[in-house]
Amino acid sequence: MLSMFLIVFFLLIGATMLPAAEPKIEVFAAAPYDRHIIYQALVLFWIGIIGLVVIIAMKLREIKRIQDMGIDEEEKDAPFLD
Amino acid sequence: MSCRRLKVWLSERYDIEALGNLARFKTVPSHRFDAWYFAGGLTLFLFVFQFITGMALALYYVPHAEHAHKSIIDIVTKLNMGWLFRSLHHWGAQLTILVLFVHVFSALLLKAYRKPRELVWLTGFVMLAISIFFGLSGYFLLWDERAFAAVRVATGGAGNLPLIGWLIKGFLRGGLDVTGETLTRFYAFHVAILPLVTIVVTGLHILLVQLHGMSVPLSQEEKQGRPEPFFPNLFYKDLIVWLICLGVVVTLAVLFPPEIGRKADPLAPAPENIKPEWYFLFLFQTLKLFPGEILGMNGETIAIVIISAAILFFFLIPFFDRRSAMERKSPLFTWIGVFYLVYFTLMTVIGFLT
Repeated sequence: MLSMFLIVFFLLIGATMLPAAEPKIEVFAAAPYDRHIIYQALVLFWIGIIGLVVIIAMKLREIKRIQDMGIDEEEKDAPFLD
Repeated sequence: MSCRRLKVWLSERYDIEALGNLARFKTVPSHRFDAWYFAGGLTLFLFVFQFITGMALALYYVPHAEHAHKSIIDIVTKLNMGWLFRSLHHWGAQLTILVLFVHVFSALLLKAYRKPRELVWLTGFVMLAISIFFGLSGYFLLWDERAFAAVRVATGGAGNLPLIGWLIKGFLRGGLDVTGETLTRFYAFHVAILPLVTIVVTGLHILLVQLHGMSVPLSQEEKQGRPEPFFPNLFYKDLIVWLICLGVVVTLAVLFPPEIGRKADPLAPAPENIKPEWYFLFLFQTLKLFPGEILGMNGETIAIVIISAAILFFFLIPFFDRRSAMERKSPLFTWIGVFYLVYFTLMTVIGFLT
């Protein structure tokens, strides 16, 4: 009986020493609405990036076309208009 | 002051015309492997990106063993967009090291290190080493149990180097073991010493690249196309690559924000199944290949010595590859380069999967 009591006693003492389960730290928005806003912003961000890439690519194409025509060289004797 | 007047004001004091000419007349070789040139510009972009996100985080981080972990939790959970900045910094670091590895291995296989570009190679290699130390020191600032164990293993490994190991270990740890002193030290490395060294070495690297021009692989010297002007052609192409990279970093940061583990406890045992960051996995896996004792000597010490010798050979490769220096093909060093690449990739993958 005494041994049973001691076992239970030490089990309880041991249990109080166990660390409490720590909640997982939220590293991202937890609310579905906030998540929705973030994903929406990500899609808009990519649309912006793709738009910029397309604009730069078009500009680059135009530059190459002018370079191939050989009219990108600066004329030294051109009159200066201020 | 109008833009034209500002230009006149500056040109009266400084030779800005020379800078304009440098941009106007700088050309980049055009050949089959010229896509690898973008890795250099991309690394520079990612360095700047890391500086910006790092500065934002440094405003709120508290470099003290008692408060470091909590300050990161506060950054992530309480600050507006704090989670995004931390995640961007984390993924930016991963991509910086990845792109640097790509840059180094492409330079190795295309023999971009050959005469007269030995110093370009050496400064580039130093930048890779700095970046890896950036990664380790930044990881430790989390002050969670995984980071703590990782730094204990990494600094312990450095301590196994013969003769100078104890000195390196003591210098990195700031004492006999990893403690709050180590955190202060790593913080100083991460936000002051390493950025300063990075700026100097990167500046030197870029200066040397401008001085020598881009390297053309031996096999492509006869097959080159018309050189392309750096500005605007290459500059615009670089911009496109940077924009896509920015998109990738932001996407990774949003979809996979890095976790925060439990606060480090110096007296607690290391957590089970601990793994280092991916760029240390090849070292970790190599150490596993060695037995605990070889001919009465410590197996780990022998492994560290062999790994250090291999890294030193890699660093000094321009001085060993004499054939490339004489503009002759050197298949032996191509195979050595392939071996390094395959070994690194294979060990990293095995380390990741097991």
